[in-house]
Amino acid sequence: MTRLFAQAQNPIVRWEYFIDEWDQIQRALIEHLQLTMYAVIIGLVVSAGLSAIALRYRWALTPINGFTAFLYTIPSVALFGILVPYFGLSRLSAVLPLAAYTLLILVTNIVAGFNSVSSEVREAAIGMGMTPARRVLHVELPLAMPYIVTGLRIAVVSTVGLVTVAAIIGQGGLGGLILDGLRRAFWTPMTIGAVLSILLALALDGLILVAGRWLTPWEQRRKTAM
Amino acid sequence: MVFAQAPVPRDIGAFEWLADPDSWTGTNGILASLADTVVLCAIVVVVATITMVPLAAWLAHTRRGEVSVSWTVTLSRAIPTFAVAGLLVPISLRRGWGFEPWPIFIALLLLALPPIFLNTYTAIRQVDPGVVDAARATGYTETDVLFRVELALATSVILAGARVAAVTVVATEPIRAFLGGDGLGRYVRDGLGQNNDGLVIAGAILVAGLAGLTALTFRSIERFALPDGVRRLATNTTP
Repeated sequence: MTRLFAQAQNPIVRWEYFIDEWDQIQRALIEHLQLTMYAVIIGLVVSAGLSAIALRYRWALTPINGFTAFLYTIPSVALFGILVPYFGLSRLSAVLPLAAYTLLILVTNIVAGFNSVSSEVREAAIGMGMTPARRVLHVELPLAMPYIVTGLRIAVVSTVGLVTVAAIIGQGGLGGLILDGLRRAFWTPMTIGAVLSILLALALDGLILVAGRWLTPWEQRRKTAM
Repeated sequence: MVFAQAPVPRDIGAFEWLADPDSWTGTNGILASLADTVVLCAIVVVVATITMVPLAAWLAHTRRGEVSVSWTVTLSRAIPTFAVAGLLVPISLRRGWGFEPWPIFIALLLLALPPIFLNTYTAIRQVDPGVVDAARATGYTETDVLFRVELALATSVILAGARVAAVTVVATEPIRAFLGGDGLGRYVRDGLGQNNDGLVIAGAILVAGLAGLTALTFRSIERFALPDGVRRLATNTTP
């Protein structure tokens, strides 16, 4: 412990680290992105299924909401920890909890999005002779898109934050840099890991925001028209 | 880094360990860790409440700070607590403040502020303007309107905000064990470090159990802490 406090005087950032350890930073960043993507994609697929059930059978909405809200309140340390004995210190033990945490926000927003489609629009689509699949894909989904994009942004940003916690079960990422710095009382990787994870969250948030605007050009036109 | 680790046999079962009274007592025992966690979380929630409720109440009463709401909504889900605490640890150590409690305290506080602020603000804004006007017309002062009408009617929503804050804080606090501190998360950490599955599971059960217990406690507070008038109102309107 005395050694540690002597090293407490290490500078917050030693800039040579960027050059010397660039490979390590790059690897951590890629691992972080991969874990985030796997989790959000799995979360999105499961949420789409759960939302479809909730929209088709109204009575299923309350239990589905209750279940996803329950998952959301499980402490991350507990959920990562409890899977380790079964799946080991593996990527699966990290991705499953991360995906589980996205369900609450994604299901809520997907359901809200489809519920926001007015019944006139729906009836008009039926009146035009659209098949249910075509109606959902070409009319309801685009109209629900702003809600889904909002949910996706929150899900991605909070997942990026939670992936840092996944480092406790040895999944690297930017949280790995934080733990590594802590272990060696070397603050540079710690600061880099923390700052990069915040920047990554902001960057992905902006990216999805732009993608969402590109997917729903009419929303922009409506806003400027008003 | 040297952590004080509880001496636990390698292949002990989670429930076997939890059932052993020796696991609960002593300086590294569950009770001490539990107290450690509960005290920190309680301070965080209390500080968040006594700062955010007055601020939000004043802003909502004076119809100010509309913009702050959308910002808070966005922020509240996006705070990377682990990264924030990780960023604060070196700063705290360089200033000689040690690993604890400042970094984790500030990181958890950032997590607790948004739900309390949001709930207080929206609850007061949603009080029926007719009721507020009626109170003014009967001669209530502005302070009376705020305390005896707006805050009274907003109580249950404010308490719900405190519940969300408390549950989030309790659920996140265990990361402290991985950032040079202790608390209830220490058993998951020690179990992972010693490759001891039983200890990991037991630690996870403890951490999740405390979060569940916190939610239950706040739900019963919400039921019993309503102002008399509001409760009578609620019982009168529900058939």
